[in-house]
Amino acid sequence: MTASVTSLVNQPYKYGFVTDIESDTIPAGLSEDVIRLISAKKNEPDFMLEFRLKAYRQWLKMDEPTWAEVGYAKIDYQKIVYYSAPKQQKKLNSLDEVDPTLLETFEKLGIPLSEQKRLSNVAVDAIFDSVSVATTFREKLFEAGVIFCSISEAMREYPELIRKYLGSVVPVGDNFFAALNAAVFTDGSFVYIPKGVACPMELSTYFRINNGDSGQFERTLIVAEEGSSVSYLEGCTAPMFDTNQLHAAVVELVALDDADIKYSTVQNWYAGDANGKGGIYNFVTKRGLCQGVNSKISWTQVETGSAITWKYPSCVLVGDNSVGEFYSVALTNNMQQADTGTKMVHVGKNTRSTIISKGISAGKSENSYRGLVKIGPKADGARNYSQCDSMLIGDTAGANTFPYIQVQNNTARVEHEASTSKIGEDQLFFFRQRGISAEDAISMMISGFCKDVFSQLPMEFAVEADRLLALKLEGSVG
Amino acid sequence: MSIQVSPTLPDVESEIRSELGLSGSAQKRQACLSRLLELAIASPSPASWLQSLRDRATAQVQSQSFPSNRNEGWRFTDLSDLLGIEFAAAANSSVQLADLAAYVLPEAEHSRLVFVDGVYAPHLSALSHLPATLQVGNLAALAEPDELLSYLAQQSGADELFTALNTAGLSDAAVIVLPKQLVVDPPIHLLFVATGGDPRSAQADQRPTLTQPRCLVVAGVNSALTLIEDYVTLGSGVCLTNAVTEIWLAENVQVNHTRVQRDSLAAFHIGKTAVSQARSSRYIGNALSFGAALSRHHLEIYQTGEQTETTLNGLTMIAGTQVGDLHSAIALTQPYGTTRQLQKCIVGDRAHAIFNGKVLVPRAAQLTDAGQLNRTLLLSPKARVDTKPQLEIVADNVKCTHGATVGQLEADEVFYLQSRGIDAASARRLLVYAFAYEIIDQIAIASLKQTLCQFITSHTD
Repeated sequence: MTASVTSLVNQPYKYGFVTDIESDTIPAGLSEDVIRLISAKKNEPDFMLEFRLKAYRQWLKMDEPTWAEVGYAKIDYQKIVYYSAPKQQKKLNSLDEVDPTLLETFEKLGIPLSEQKRLSNVAVDAIFDSVSVATTFREKLFEAGVIFCSISEAMREYPELIRKYLGSVVPVGDNFFAALNAAVFTDGSFVYIPKGVACPMELSTYFRINNGDSGQFERTLIVAEEGSSVSYLEGCTAPMFDTNQLHAAVVELVALDDADIKYSTVQNWYAGDANGKGGIYNFVTKRGLCQGVNSKISWTQVETGSAITWKYPSCVLVGDNSVGEFYSVALTNNMQQADTGTKMVHVGKNTRSTIISKGISAGKSENSYRGLVKIGPKADGARNYSQCDSMLIGDTAGANTFPYIQVQNNTARVEHEASTSKIGEDQLFFFRQRGISAEDAISMMISGFCKDVFSQLPMEFAVEADRLLALKLEGSVG
Repeated sequence: MSIQVSPTLPDVESEIRSELGLSGSAQKRQACLSRLLELAIASPSPASWLQSLRDRATAQVQSQSFPSNRNEGWRFTDLSDLLGIEFAAAANSSVQLADLAAYVLPEAEHSRLVFVDGVYAPHLSALSHLPATLQVGNLAALAEPDELLSYLAQQSGADELFTALNTAGLSDAAVIVLPKQLVVDPPIHLLFVATGGDPRSAQADQRPTLTQPRCLVVAGVNSALTLIEDYVTLGSGVCLTNAVTEIWLAENVQVNHTRVQRDSLAAFHIGKTAVSQARSSRYIGNALSFGAALSRHHLEIYQTGEQTETTLNGLTMIAGTQVGDLHSAIALTQPYGTTRQLQKCIVGDRAHAIFNGKVLVPRAAQLTDAGQLNRTLLLSPKARVDTKPQLEIVADNVKCTHGATVGQLEADEVFYLQSRGIDAASARRLLVYAFAYEIIDQIAIASLKQTLCQFITSHTD
């Protein structure tokens, strides 16, 4: 390949600006007092404080995991600010009362919060640093019976639902980062779809980290009652700082009988500069529980940002005939590190899962797929198909696959395939011969490589994801 | 250690209990390791030049701890059954050639080396029809040990715990040195016999024994060799075999290696095969594992030159409560390498198969073509498999694929055979046989192939 392949990656990160806004920030550090303070500031019911303290006490006893193929300097958990919120604490009645600077920020990020601009039929919950600033289309959703609000509101307004489901899929002591999140999480989205309702529009949460010292710890909980369905999308960006910020989120999904949840992520946190300085540590626990029969949970993720990604969206297939899906594109460039994959735990009979993972590594990045397919002794007739493909751009990037397959039932069928390749010179030559420039050819080939995953995204986002990938890779191929 | 605590005690105390329990089993593991090491060191050291190797290995063992399932590499292979066993060194045994009749291969009738409990047995061996320039025999008998120093225990990964344990007790070994250009026609058969609990053994108290067979093959430029490494046990007593084989392929060498492990069901087998391949060498390795209550095979390929070819075929066929583990690691550090690996497991009853296949392709290994496939057949509802084909790739201009499948016999296939008038049981037997035959067919020795086919047939009911 010519020199232009090497010059296509270094597109500046266009979301790297900082919004100058007065915020209510507590001093850095973590202790029981800090947790009590967060809980008090958020006006939480007592059971939440107990939940947090229980998690904190477990967290103190846990060690940070070291098994992932990622390397980073030790995180000082006492130097992180655990609560930072735009200073505007009075209750908002309508969007017009939201600080215009904030609205402007989201406009700049391409997230229209104003309901008048019905550009797309998508309801958005916007989260700025630690708190939710606005949720659009609430009325319309409420008419359908769908609850879509920030989790702090839900704690006050629907405590019985929160109490029943929060921590039911990811227990407080599940892992080091999940325990930390359970102790200090400040906001997130809550979605409840009642029995038999198909959510009338796409739901979306937009996360923005603004404060340079703050960590972001949000928690999302989606409950789909019998026969309901919902499609949910999250997006994220952060400004550019020289320091690393910690993002430790937890997402829990619960699908009851015949329910269907589709969860898509387009992750574009700041990835640090070309030398690996700065960037977000994205240590996230996502898990869905297919509790009911015939339920379905589908994860789609496009991971392009973050200095380090440590993330394994999982499905626990308990209900008979339940279905788990995982579609992922992980792109790493420069000094980024990603250790991501999924876990499909088959418990019920005739459960099915599909894993399609596409990794693209460029620059000096490390991209690992780590997955687990576990077929329990009672999962008669379980079926899994996994496919992990890696594409390497340049000879300094690494691609690893660690697929764990554990089968304890002989009626199960498990298939796993993986391949590693690069953009073939003859393919490139074919395009060039037809008058298509090298850059266009490469972006077409990459988009073809990722097609299986992009086709799972809601349409508007599929277009966006395609463009995002092209931008990220600009200059790295040619 | 047992501490009686009532289950209603508060958290703090159960924590203390679990901590004590943990350190208790850690102590047990350490005690087991030091017993094994003591036993290893006590073996006679035939020459002073070996002593420094043994001392180094002893230090390596001492710096490590006995693996538990908290170690990633041993997560699924539980060695705790070894902990309680008081192993002893094997005493001299009076094995006669007649006792080994079932294992003698006609193709290698005059090119056979037999080791009983790790010690060379000249009266059982036959080395008459071999070229004069070929050095073959046991370590103690070799005239010039100096040149072996750069090979013996020099493979990467020699510091791994069980390999080091073998080296720490190194007193005898099968040694085959091929000068350059030599093509050895007859296959060389290395038969390692363990006599655990064998009535012929002179050992009065029938204690479980530790044997540590060792083998070194150094093949000079342009040479070729067919090698059969065969592990068998006489008697059905408990024994631990900790075998290490090192094979060095110089430029343009071809080695066809078949390793058969058919120990008794009371045996424990831990084995290492480490292969170094220089430029343009070809290594074909067939690893078959049928025996032992618990077996673990480390298969490691190190590439030291460009353009090597490696073919690895493996078959693990286990039933009952057997555990069969293959950990392979292929380090392709040079350009233009080709590897093909096919590992098959047939798991019956409550047996547990484990496969971990690592393929490393660092930056220098451009134009590598690596393929790996693991296929597992689960024959019973309680059978279990844990498999992890693992690729670590940095070079971009490579073709690397891996695949894994787990399943049972296809109902359609059984039905097809039934429709042709074959009863269901025979149809299943035939399909299992066919599944295994793909690997067995790769073996170059006709008589061994036949023996193994019979074994498969007799074990698929």
